[in-house]
Amino acid sequence: MTDSIPFAPQPPPRPEALFAEHAPRIYSLAKRMLGNDADAEDVTQDVLLQVLRKLDTFRGDAAFPTWLHRVTVNAALSHRRKRAVREERTGGGLTDDIPENGHAHPGIVKRWALPPDRQALDRETQRLIEAAIERLPEGYRDVYVLADVEGLPNAEIGDLLGLSLPAVKSRLHRARLMMRDTLAPHFEEVA
Amino acid sequence: MNCRELVELLLDYVADELPADQRHVLEIHLSFCPPCVTYLETYRATIRLMRQLPPTPLPPELVARLRSALEKRCGEPE
Repeated sequence: MTDSIPFAPQPPPRPEALFAEHAPRIYSLAKRMLGNDADAEDVTQDVLLQVLRKLDTFRGDAAFPTWLHRVTVNAALSHRRKRAVREERTGGGLTDDIPENGHAHPGIVKRWALPPDRQALDRETQRLIEAAIERLPEGYRDVYVLADVEGLPNAEIGDLLGLSLPAVKSRLHRARLMMRDTLAPHFEEVA
Repeated sequence: MNCRELVELLLDYVADELPADQRHVLEIHLSFCPPCVTYLETYRATIRLMRQLPPTPLPPELVARLRSALEKRCGEPE
């Protein structure tokens, strides 16, 4: 895409380009939030069709990534609510068994052996991390995925999820502690 | 500050958002507590690992479904 000729007529977006550019990110975010393939697939299709309808509005606009996150998060939350109704239960949210206070490391903390920063994660490590994310309670998982996987600022996450900044930070910290504890046995150095 | 209190401040510490006085106390604790130093390293490593996570691969059946839906919506010939 080029911005060098303002107002020049532009061809409509081709489905392949739309698909290649946005589908993997939309699907990844939905899958990680929902932990469910079928719902993530529905969300991906819904969001891509919305992108297609609105793409001219956002052509070259820096607000597009923010809008795409918002549409995807809203679609994922909507699917979760529908699923909860279908299953006649509340659909999770925060669980009572997560300690709000009192998390501390044990006396002995082992160092981790990790791949270099810029090295691609191997499939087994990816699988471990994805499984650990899926085990997070929903209310924590949403914040965690948006913050530490998608890299959104805390204020934007609060806006997307309707949470105060302290609530976002509290959930993010709890989620990180849970993730650290879950991943630790897999990465700890062997003595 | 004990180890439990230090853990509670890690989110703000790694984001460099801790007030100077609390940061000073926390770093004094780190200077004599190797387990907390290692815990901080693994907390940071947890964050770093997520940044390296690639997008989830699209299932082949979803690829076909999306192509079909988008082409129908765009009204473009093959």
